[in-house]
Amino acid sequence: MKTHNFYSFLFLISIAISASAFSIDLLGIAPEDEKYYKADVIKCKDGSKKFKREQLNDEFCDCPDGTDEPGTSACPEGKFYCRNAGHSPLILYSSRVNDGICDCCDGSDEYDGKAKCPNTCWEAGKVAREKLKKKIATYQEGVTLRKKEVEQAKQAFSKDEADLLKLKNEEKILKGLVQQLKEQKEQIEKAEEQERLKKEKEKKLREAEENASEQEKKPIEKHETEEHIDEVPHPKEENADAAVEAGSGDNSQSGTSPSNVIKQETAEGSDGTVVKDESKASVDHAAKQEGAEANAGTVIKDERGHDAGTGTEAFADHAAKQEQEKSDTIEGLSKEELGRLVASRWTGENAGQQTKELDNAKEEEDDGSSEIPEAAENDGYDGYSSATDEDDRKYDNDEMEEHNMDDEHDDRDNSYNSDVEDYSDSKTLHSQSWLDKLQQTVRNILQAVSLFKTPVDISEAARVRKEYDESSQKLSKMQSRISSLSEKLKHDFGMEKEFYSFYDHCFESKQNKYVYKVCPFKQASQVEGHSTTQLGRWEKFEESYRIMQFSSGDKCWNGPDRSLKVRLRCGLKNELADVDEPSRCEYVAVLSTPALCLEERLKELHHKLDLMNTKEPKSHDEL
Amino acid sequence: MASSKLISLSLLSLLFLLHLSTVSSWKKDEFRNCNQTPFCKRSRSRKPGHCNLVATDVTLENGDLTAKLLPQSPNQRIEESKDGEEEEAAPEPPKPLILKLSVYQNGILRLKIDEDPSLDPPKKRFEVPDVILSEFEEQKLWLQRVSTEGGSSIVYMDGDYEGVLRHDPFEVYVRRKGGDRVVSVNSNGLFDFEQLRKKREGEDWEERWRSHTDTRPYGPQSISFDVSFYGADFVYGIPEHASTSLALRPTRGPGVEDSEPYRLFNLDVFEFLHDSPFGIYGSIPFMLSHGKDHGTSGFFWLNAAEMQIDVLSSGWDANSGIAEPSGRGRIDTLWMSEAGIVDTFFFMGPGPKDVARRYATVTGTSAMPQLFSTAYHQCRWNYRDEEDVENVDTQFDEHDIPYDVLWLDIDHTDGKRYFTWDRALFPHPEEMQRKLAAKGRHMVTIVDPHIKRDESFPLHKEATAKGYYVKDASGRDYDGWCWPGSSSYPDMLNPEIRSWWGDKFSYENYVGSTPSLYIWNDMNEPSVFNGPEVTMPRDAIHYGDVEHRELHNAYGYYFHMSTSNGLLKRGDGKDRPFVLSRAFFAGTQRYGAVWTGDNSADWDHLRSSVPMILTLGLTGLSFSGADVGGFFGNPEPELLVRWYQLGAYYPFFRGHAHHDTKRREPWLFGEQNTARIRDAIHIRYALLPYFYTMFREANTSGIPVMRPLWMEFPADDATFNNDEAFMIGNSILVQGIYSEGVKSTTVYLPEGQSWYDLRNGAAYRGGVSHKLEVTQESIPAFQKAGTIVPRKDRFRRGSTQMVNDPYTLVIALNGSLAAEGELYIDDGKSYDFKKGAYIHRRFVFSDGKLISSNIAPTNSGKQPYSSNCVIERIILLGLPSGAKGALVEPANYRTDIEPGTLTLRGGSIPVARVIRKPNVRITDDWTIKIL
Repeated sequence: MKTHNFYSFLFLISIAISASAFSIDLLGIAPEDEKYYKADVIKCKDGSKKFKREQLNDEFCDCPDGTDEPGTSACPEGKFYCRNAGHSPLILYSSRVNDGICDCCDGSDEYDGKAKCPNTCWEAGKVAREKLKKKIATYQEGVTLRKKEVEQAKQAFSKDEADLLKLKNEEKILKGLVQQLKEQKEQIEKAEEQERLKKEKEKKLREAEENASEQEKKPIEKHETEEHIDEVPHPKEENADAAVEAGSGDNSQSGTSPSNVIKQETAEGSDGTVVKDESKASVDHAAKQEGAEANAGTVIKDERGHDAGTGTEAFADHAAKQEQEKSDTIEGLSKEELGRLVASRWTGENAGQQTKELDNAKEEEDDGSSEIPEAAENDGYDGYSSATDEDDRKYDNDEMEEHNMDDEHDDRDNSYNSDVEDYSDSKTLHSQSWLDKLQQTVRNILQAVSLFKTPVDISEAARVRKEYDESSQKLSKMQSRISSLSEKLKHDFGMEKEFYSFYDHCFESKQNKYVYKVCPFKQASQVEGHSTTQLGRWEKFEESYRIMQFSSGDKCWNGPDRSLKVRLRCGLKNELADVDEPSRCEYVAVLSTPALCLEERLKELHHKLDLMNTKEPKSHDEL
Repeated sequence: MASSKLISLSLLSLLFLLHLSTVSSWKKDEFRNCNQTPFCKRSRSRKPGHCNLVATDVTLENGDLTAKLLPQSPNQRIEESKDGEEEEAAPEPPKPLILKLSVYQNGILRLKIDEDPSLDPPKKRFEVPDVILSEFEEQKLWLQRVSTEGGSSIVYMDGDYEGVLRHDPFEVYVRRKGGDRVVSVNSNGLFDFEQLRKKREGEDWEERWRSHTDTRPYGPQSISFDVSFYGADFVYGIPEHASTSLALRPTRGPGVEDSEPYRLFNLDVFEFLHDSPFGIYGSIPFMLSHGKDHGTSGFFWLNAAEMQIDVLSSGWDANSGIAEPSGRGRIDTLWMSEAGIVDTFFFMGPGPKDVARRYATVTGTSAMPQLFSTAYHQCRWNYRDEEDVENVDTQFDEHDIPYDVLWLDIDHTDGKRYFTWDRALFPHPEEMQRKLAAKGRHMVTIVDPHIKRDESFPLHKEATAKGYYVKDASGRDYDGWCWPGSSSYPDMLNPEIRSWWGDKFSYENYVGSTPSLYIWNDMNEPSVFNGPEVTMPRDAIHYGDVEHRELHNAYGYYFHMSTSNGLLKRGDGKDRPFVLSRAFFAGTQRYGAVWTGDNSADWDHLRSSVPMILTLGLTGLSFSGADVGGFFGNPEPELLVRWYQLGAYYPFFRGHAHHDTKRREPWLFGEQNTARIRDAIHIRYALLPYFYTMFREANTSGIPVMRPLWMEFPADDATFNNDEAFMIGNSILVQGIYSEGVKSTTVYLPEGQSWYDLRNGAAYRGGVSHKLEVTQESIPAFQKAGTIVPRKDRFRRGSTQMVNDPYTLVIALNGSLAAEGELYIDDGKSYDFKKGAYIHRRFVFSDGKLISSNIAPTNSGKQPYSSNCVIERIILLGLPSGAKGALVEPANYRTDIEPGTLTLRGGSIPVARVIRKPNVRITDDWTIKIL
């Protein structure tokens, strides 16, 4: 006997039975593949060699790619196909065949008798079909919504494009006018300057005669400047004073309240005085937390108190120093402070951004007296779901919020947005006439003051100046509108511009005490009370518009820059949910949106349902 | 506060920050160096010839040789150089010490020196209990007589050795019968023994360290002495230190710059350096020496107090004129301990395996592990909730990557109260474990020794009420700080407390535990965040009035023991415990596995993992590994892949990561890297039958699973300080790749045989270095010619599903076309193997025949273990082509031989002759003849 059947040998040791050729031969082969195995000599699919038909599923791996063992576990790279009539077919790794675990609902992967796998396809299929039907319903509606959305987006897009084109033309004209006015203005100014010089000369002559009286004036002026320092100053002057006081040339500050100072400084990050202020402020902040923090050491508190919302570099800086301080001053710490300090090396829990993790139940628990469960912290905590997890989760969250960009949090976007508003009003209503009028006006002016005489006609000069100021203001508004529009149009809005409306939207989701705010094409943040942590700036779409990637957010203490991946799935509303942090400072979230309700996908789902319905096993015919 | 400094330092600190990120944050100044440790400083400052003790009154007592050690002349002591320490100037006349020499079977000499109990010392000095096997005591040879030879007393040892006590000056050594010395104590006269005495007026015994004060109520009590190894090229052992060198580098003497001794003091060191003599989590005071001409010997000091050991470089004693100058094949070492007694063991070789076996007769062999625990473990601080656990589990299956155990770190508990669950994150722990168990997988949860001082925590209440905590110097329950905050520590020295603790692992007590749950003991050095050097104060008090200083290095051992015995009890003594511990001591191998602690994700830590694990193996602790990927920091994908490729050969194979690191489950680094990691893990699973056989060898003999090359090739001196390659068993050699972007590497293959590449079967000559190309796909690994390695090549989800899978035998033929190997199988979980329920086969190939024969003792078959497994494939490397068939006997059928590949990987090239489907049963005797 030349070839030995493994299973007969195993179970019927000395009796040689050739197992039912049909069942063994076709095991694990997909229906569309059956033809491939018809021949007497079969090629390994990778072309590496050939095998005889009797070597098919003979429990010995001949082809490294597993061609000869689709129905056994003999080839590590083999794949097993189960039909799962009544449900969906499944392709398994060969490692699952006869491993004692039922993987196929029809039980076909466990045929060696060691595990009993009842056929559950119809029952499981029923659930799956129901789910699928629901999903199809969602998709059907979603596809319609999406079409509408795409239509609107296309219109909006072309309109924006047209606007941009128009604006650019207008800008060209306006620029010309402004230039003309400017030249005019400069000529006027030149003339005025000459006049002034002339007058000054005359004045100097007079002054020479009035020396005595001048000497008395000086002390008075001096006195006045001194007063400036003490009194609430004129902003400009104060600025200079502050710079002098700080003993550095930095005069870029303009704020006066301590919080402003901090904000600016952390952004700029170098001036000594301000760092001082900042540390004071953070000590104050820390002091406020004292109540909640129970017995925590001051060193730690200081760091915790400092929120990581802004100025991360300055913060890290601060932390590093604290660390240095710690190793220097361990002697002065109480036993508990020392314990906390050493523990924090592993946990990093003294870090600023850890505030969120620390200031609830956990904190109290640390002092060993409280009974408050940690549940509070973990409520509504959704874990992180597998990327392959289907879109079937959570449609029940109804509070969907859409926000316009004119939001107090984002200064940059905010500023140009409001500009856009008032400009677009005038523009859309009567832009042409407005521009015509302006052109007319300028023409008039140019004609009127084309020839100069000295002295300058004061009312003419004022008119030119006024027109120039107004026009250049309009020009700069127009330019900022152009730049924001072209900025917008530069983005990739999807295959059919289906994400166009996202540009002016932010999506929010509240989880515990945090509000997560995702503004596509802009940034994403985590807001807690007054503190905002940037989770990332817009980077791009990934996985063919199934993921929105935000990166380079605020830096984590002892960790990476924060980032956020928003997975998109088909839903009837734009709805942000399931924000999570699977790795430290790497966030994920799910956004349901009609934009993902693709027609092709709907077709696939229909097809899948058809398959499931038609492959009903005979035993369930009565259904 | 810091505000004023902030101003002046704002710029500086930015620079400092940059600096910090590149420099390790090991807090060096939080730990004592030798100079800051009075006993160490004192011992080190002594000159050769310091000791003036003379052995007198030599007699035989209870089968032992005993003698008294007395100073030659009491006045000499005072003339000695002083270092300003008061205790050095004790004018009190020293009392005689009692010396005892015992001889045991297999060439083991034991030397004990202690104070004379009959002279009423203030306190009994601590002798570490529960480490020496009781069976060992039964192996004592009853000395019948002592011969004297010119001022020396000589006892005969088993074999070719004799133990010698020279009287004046006192010295103890072992020599070959009438010939060369092998190991000696006090040849350089550095012996010193600080006897306990009453405190005199004005004496201040306190020691201060940073903000801590050690009251030292018993004053100085340290012991030190020199040990010399003769004919030694290198010395090895005394873990645990992070090092890139397997051989111990000299710590003092000519040519040594960084002059710190090797420290043995169990400490939780944050971000330990990859190369430093500094003490970390565990201690085994066992040293081995090896030389080309004189073979191997070993020396073990059973002492659990802080120990410092100097390896002295040649010429350190240049002008002493006391002993024969070092450097002629002798390596001198200086051993110093803060407390305890002298209880030392001399082990004779001549071979490395002889020494390993003998050491194991004293401290025990490694416990037979659960089969699942020899497979791959997946850990992270922390898998956060049940959904996370389920998701990770599912993803392993989705990527067809096998794993056996999923681990939960401290955050699974309710506020770090061990034996509890955070019910918000883990509302259904039993169900979670059952789901894993349904796939044959296991779970491990962490249980640390610090107990949260929380009146509402029953465990704390009970421990307090029963007085089960370690006490501080004032007699109150010691209150330290660890993960839960204020914590106390059960006194594991007390057998009653150990038993009480063990009971906490019963299913009733540990609510939410199931039979598939096993345990991880961390922080058991013990780690105390606000204690001196991040551990417990030395003057804390244990059971029997033992000071913490006396047993510190064994605290973790007792904790591990207690946990392990608890699990044993949980399973009615039928289920082998699996407990991973971070702290360890001599004997830990009997209770479970250890890992090398909180390493870092950098190449140097990858490199040092090999000498560290090899050293643990040499000192009896076979079941050990390093965190794959590195605990701290984020490994680059290349480093992570290399770590998996190396870690697949660690005896204990676990991926682990700190909670600040990015997720690093094997499928997160792109398909190519996923495939590489999968491949590495698959290699381990394929080799599980071989590994398990080696674990059995370690269990019966004490010879480690992972071995330094010189253990297998003791005569090949090119292997003696090879830190980069190692052997798994006697058949497989592995060379790690320890740096980035490596395209080629040099591998030394030991002499005597040729070697076959484990992936492609290419043959290489032994005794030379080969320059090999290296790809990202694998690290170099070879099978020695003349060996047979059993494998299971079918891929599964985990080891549980492989039980019935058929075997593949890989036969690497040597020059005479012969090879042999073994296979050990049992049920993988119970103790039935102790009653003979196992299969142990020897495969021998010679004269064109492969014979399988039973090597299990035939009378042990009371409870036979049976298996239906067959051999599906036999791969012959080095067989001349031509053979077309084979005859299987006694069944008497023919099967085919065809060209085949060494592995079933796609793209493999046929390099071997393959016997196709011999389908012989693994339990049977059979012969396969090549036709």
